[in-house]
Amino acid sequence: MKAPPGPRRILLASATALAVAAALLLTLILPAEYGWDPLGTGRALGLTGMAQDQATALHRHARRWREDSITLPLAPFESVEYKYRLDAGAVILYRWRVDGEVVYDMHAEPDGAAPGYAESFARSRGPADSGSYTAPFTGIHGWFWQNRGERPITVQLETRGFFDSAVELRDGRVFEYEFGTAAQP
Amino acid sequence: MRPAPRRFAAFALCALPAAAGAHDLSAANAAFVQTLDGSAPGAFMYLGAKHMFTGIDHLLFLLGVIFFLYRGRDIVLYVTLFTAGHSLTLILGVWADWRVDAHLVDAVIGLSVVYKAFENMGGFRTVFGIDPDTRAAVLVFGLFHGLGLATRLQDYVGRDDGLLTNLLSFNVGVELGQLLALGLILIGLLEWRRHRAFAAQAFAANSILMCAGFVLAGNQLAGYVFA
Repeated sequence: MKAPPGPRRILLASATALAVAAALLLTLILPAEYGWDPLGTGRALGLTGMAQDQATALHRHARRWREDSITLPLAPFESVEYKYRLDAGAVILYRWRVDGEVVYDMHAEPDGAAPGYAESFARSRGPADSGSYTAPFTGIHGWFWQNRGERPITVQLETRGFFDSAVELRDGRVFEYEFGTAAQP
Repeated sequence: MRPAPRRFAAFALCALPAAAGAHDLSAANAAFVQTLDGSAPGAFMYLGAKHMFTGIDHLLFLLGVIFFLYRGRDIVLYVTLFTAGHSLTLILGVWADWRVDAHLVDAVIGLSVVYKAFENMGGFRTVFGIDPDTRAAVLVFGLFHGLGLATRLQDYVGRDDGLLTNLLSFNVGVELGQLLALGLILIGLLEWRRHRAFAAQAFAANSILMCAGFVLAGNQLAGYVFA
C-alpha cells in the first residue's frame, strides 16, 4: 500500500478542487442559473437565457380586458358568493375590503365537476385581501364571504382581468352578470 | 459497480451540482400542498422522502460520512448522529418558525461536504496537525442540514391544526428517503471497496467530492447575492 498523501498533495488537491469549482461556477453555472456572465462564456454557449423563465413570464390572453366593481351588502350572519367565469390560464387582479370583518373562502369549481365540488385556495377571516389569481382550470372562480358580526357590513370588490361573466349567489338565488362589449371601447 | 475511469468520474460528479436547484420541491408539488388544509401525513411524508432522495447536497455529505466507515456499528452510529442533528433543527426550526436565509444555510451545507472531503483526505491531521472530533462534526453539520430542510418545509406547511402532524410526517419521510439513498450508496461503496483500485482512487474521489461541495456552496452564495 502506498504512503498516505502528504500535506503538499492534500493542499494541492484542495486548491485544485476550489479552482475547478470556481471555473465551473463562473463559466457555466452562474450564467445559466442567474444570468451573471462575467466571462461571456454563457453567451457563447447559449446558456444565458436559461435564467429567465420566459415560459411563465408572459402570457397573452385572447379574451377582452374587463373591469368590474361591485358592492355587496351583508346583513348580520348573511353570506354571499361572487364568482367569475374564467378559462384555464386566465388571470385576474382583485382587491376587496369590508367595513368590518368577514370569514372568506376563495375557491373555484371546475366545469363538469360533481355538484358541490370546489377547490379552495384561501380560507381565512379578515377585513381585506388583494392579489392576483391564475385560473388552474376552466370554471367559476371567486369568493364566499360571510358576516359573522351583529351589524350589517358591505364588501367592496374590484377586479380587473380576462372574464366575460360573473355570478352572485345569495339566499339560494343566482344573479348573472354579463360584461358585454358595450362597456368596452 | 465497476469503478469508472477517473476522468469520466470527475466529469460526472462535477456535473451533478449543476442540477442543485432541482431539489427544491417542484412548483406543482408546492401548489398542491398549499391547497391542503389540516393534516396530510401521506403528502408530507412523500415530500420529505423526495426531498432527501433527490437532494444531492445531503447525499454527497452522507457519501463523505460513510466513505471510510467499514464497521456496521460505526455506520449506524454516524448516521444516527446525522439524523439526530437534522431532525432537531428541522422540528425546532419549523415549530418555532425560525426565519433563516435558505441560501446561506445551503451554502453551509455545501461547505459541510467540503469539510468532510478534507477530513477524508486526512487534511486536518496531515496539514494542520489537529484531529477534530468526527462525531461532533457530523452532529453539528446535521444541525445545518436540518435547518435547510426546515426552510423548505416552512414555505409549504400551513400554520394550522395540522402543523405538528405534517412536520413529523415530513421528518419520517426524510428518514425513509435517507435510508433508501443510504442503501444504494452503500451497495455501490461496498462493491467499489472490493476492487484493488479503491485505495488509489479514494483520494481522487474525495477531491472530486470537495469540488462538488465548493460548487454547491458557490451556487448558493450566488443565489444569496443575485436572487
